[in-house]
Amino acid sequence: MAWNRVAVVGAGLIKMGELFEQSYEQMAAGAFDAAVQSVDKGFEPAQVEAAFVATQRGTLWGQEGIGGNTIPTAIGLAGIPCTRIENACPSGSDAFRVGAMAVASGVHDVVLVIGVEKMRDKSTEEGLLSRAAAGHPIYTRGETAPVLFAPFATRHMHEFGTTREMLAAVAVKNHYNGARDPYAHFQNEITVDDVLASPPVCHPLHLLDCCPQTDGAAAVLLTSAERATEFTDAPVYVAGFGVATDHPYLHEKDSFIELKATRLAAQRAYAMAGVGPGDLDCAEVHDCFTITEILDIEDLGFVAKGDGGRATLDGETSLTGRIPVNTSGGLLAKGHPIGATGVAQLTECWWQLRGAAGERQVAMRNGYALQHNAGGRGSGVSVVNILTNHRDS
Amino acid sequence: MAIRLLGAGGAAPRWRLRAASVAEAWARTGGRGQVAVCPPDEDPLTLGWDAGSAALAAAGITADHVDALYWGTSRPPFAEGPSHAFCAAALGCSDHVAGALLSGSEHAGIDALLAAADAVAAGSSRIALVIASDARRPGPGSPFEARCGAGAAAVVLGASGGTAALGTRVTRSRPFVDRYRGDGEDDVRDLYDARLFREEIFVPVVAEVARALAAFDVQAWSIPDPDGRLGATVAKLVGHGAPESTSVYAAVGDTGAAAPLLGALGSFAAPGLVGVIGTGGGRTTGVLIDVETPVPGAARAVAALSGGEDVSYTSALRARGQLTPAGETIPMGVPPESALFVRGADEMLGLLGGRCVDCHTISTPPSIHPTCVACGGPKLEPVAIAREGQVHTYVVNYTMPAPFVAPLPIAVLDMDDGARLMLQVTGDGTDLAIGTRVELVLRKYAHERGVPVYGFKARPVRSPEEVTT
Repeated sequence: MAWNRVAVVGAGLIKMGELFEQSYEQMAAGAFDAAVQSVDKGFEPAQVEAAFVATQRGTLWGQEGIGGNTIPTAIGLAGIPCTRIENACPSGSDAFRVGAMAVASGVHDVVLVIGVEKMRDKSTEEGLLSRAAAGHPIYTRGETAPVLFAPFATRHMHEFGTTREMLAAVAVKNHYNGARDPYAHFQNEITVDDVLASPPVCHPLHLLDCCPQTDGAAAVLLTSAERATEFTDAPVYVAGFGVATDHPYLHEKDSFIELKATRLAAQRAYAMAGVGPGDLDCAEVHDCFTITEILDIEDLGFVAKGDGGRATLDGETSLTGRIPVNTSGGLLAKGHPIGATGVAQLTECWWQLRGAAGERQVAMRNGYALQHNAGGRGSGVSVVNILTNHRDS
Repeated sequence: MAIRLLGAGGAAPRWRLRAASVAEAWARTGGRGQVAVCPPDEDPLTLGWDAGSAALAAAGITADHVDALYWGTSRPPFAEGPSHAFCAAALGCSDHVAGALLSGSEHAGIDALLAAADAVAAGSSRIALVIASDARRPGPGSPFEARCGAGAAAVVLGASGGTAALGTRVTRSRPFVDRYRGDGEDDVRDLYDARLFREEIFVPVVAEVARALAAFDVQAWSIPDPDGRLGATVAKLVGHGAPESTSVYAAVGDTGAAAPLLGALGSFAAPGLVGVIGTGGGRTTGVLIDVETPVPGAARAVAALSGGEDVSYTSALRARGQLTPAGETIPMGVPPESALFVRGADEMLGLLGGRCVDCHTISTPPSIHPTCVACGGPKLEPVAIAREGQVHTYVVNYTMPAPFVAPLPIAVLDMDDGARLMLQVTGDGTDLAIGTRVELVLRKYAHERGVPVYGFKARPVRSPEEVTT
């Protein structure tokens, strides 16, 4: 039996992109408003009893002091309890999990989970790339974000014969989906040749194997399963979730063909939801790089270990495939505003489960969708949330 | 007391700069030969480490048996600071190691050799390691630039054993100014007047020292050669053909304080009396070395100087810090004087790991592993990590902020003792594959605010066939 004690009754996001003209606070207000407007039977902002905000790195725009108290003022709710959750790339997913537990505990009946991230206020060199100089002076020097994933691509290609064309197929599929998502950062289709011919970023990954730097915000509104129908006749329930950690440094890892934290988090989420990968109708997974999605779909159990590249090339994860993955365009096309990413993925799952995904809508057979992030220094943390469109299963 | 040579080693950076490239940059005609220049991660300390490690291995002596380290270089990495201590720690010497850092001019290499010899003769040192290394920074556009090389030589001295002995020495001191660098200056200034230097100073003084040594039956010479001709001029004055050091100057250029010993390494590979002359800072010293049978490591040391890859003039300028991008570079996250360096000195220069007493897994680095990475056990004992292993997986990073230089290979390594490391790799990554054998070498990771940061990098191991070709 699925957990189903908490329901999502509203969800929304702002158009992702390089939002130089919007402040952190304005992005948050935009996402909150979108979530409020999405509630079928109406929602008053003052109904929010508590908020959990996911922002991964304020230093990217020079504001590490950003705290939970920034958001209530930005959305006109100064005074409510609000806590910032930072858990690397899964910050948004984890804020959702914590928000769901806050509702399930009975302490709060209506909770806002909001993810906000400014990725482009500082130059790339000053912002994201500067981590190359951070950390241990020899064990982490030169370690930009692609260095945390490219070693898995090298090894996966070596052990399973995965090709650059298979990696490229992930980017091609996700851009195809992104071209059908009005909220995506990139809304253009690309070809395998485009990916192969793009400049090298971190061998074996090239530019179009990598997600862009994107500003964005997304929000969801949670309430108890009992009160859900006050807000909508089509609530989406939290069927289960799982979190796991792994060693943070790459050289501590046993394996470079899997993300162990993802495998463990998925096991926990499936057990809590009482479902398996075969019951899912779609999934939003962490595709910060093309190789990451290939690892994800293997570690989440959608395909056998080593088969992710072939399955992608054969269309098994396309909109009409056996298990559609990243229907929103994923991080590769929709964008990866870190704290907002997980919440935006959950919003896509909410749309899909309610049949509201428009051109991207996939067939609903069992009414389950999975959302996943992995991140941290060496994918040291992973979060999986499973949503469903029916309370009794 | 006899002063014996127990082993020798040599090193040169892997980059070669052609004199023609320098000439072209300054719109000059001509330009013969080539010099060795340092990539951004090599300097007199890393070169000295390379040569010193090779000399110890050739002598069959581990670093903890060295009781004195004598290091001569005109350019210690810290103008004032822990250069000697960093070098000793990276070599693996005991923390009681004595000796000295000799500097101040190109004469420093000979100074180090003779100071070590005196310590052995006096009985204050049983095993002394002598390192002479240099990588000077010539003024851009100066004639010296196309001649200024980089390299290192090392010998192990002891009171007994070995296959060669140090003998007679002679010094001539005359206060003149040739190539020099003032306090607060980064670049070496060139000669005031090359003809004045040649005829009034270099030839008379160096020839006087050479004649003193030539009273013995010298079969091979290492003679300073600041312009590609003067070495042969002096040799001719003592009735010798081109000095044996000529081939070393042709391969790597004028290596400053390293040049006298480096130029003699080839001659240590065959029996006979070798005359070694060094000059600089107004002093010229010659010493005789009697080679009975080939000195261990000498032939290999000469082979280590061959090969190398051609680089552009602009690459050499960038590596020497003489061509810098506008704007601010990204500061290092961890300044070398910080607490992390206090905790991490052993693991960065000594490459320590912590081995679990329960499951024997090695966790690295110890400072961030209070418990075992495999079983969580709380008892770890410090161990020196194996210096060879193979590539488990790797990347080549092309996208980094200044001062990083792309392409930068980074590899996850399976070391031969089972330890896992993730380290930068020397070179451009084109020689890497999963399974490639590597050895760990000391390299400079960063240089900021005048402070170098050293640590180990992986270097693909070349097969013996590749070394000779």
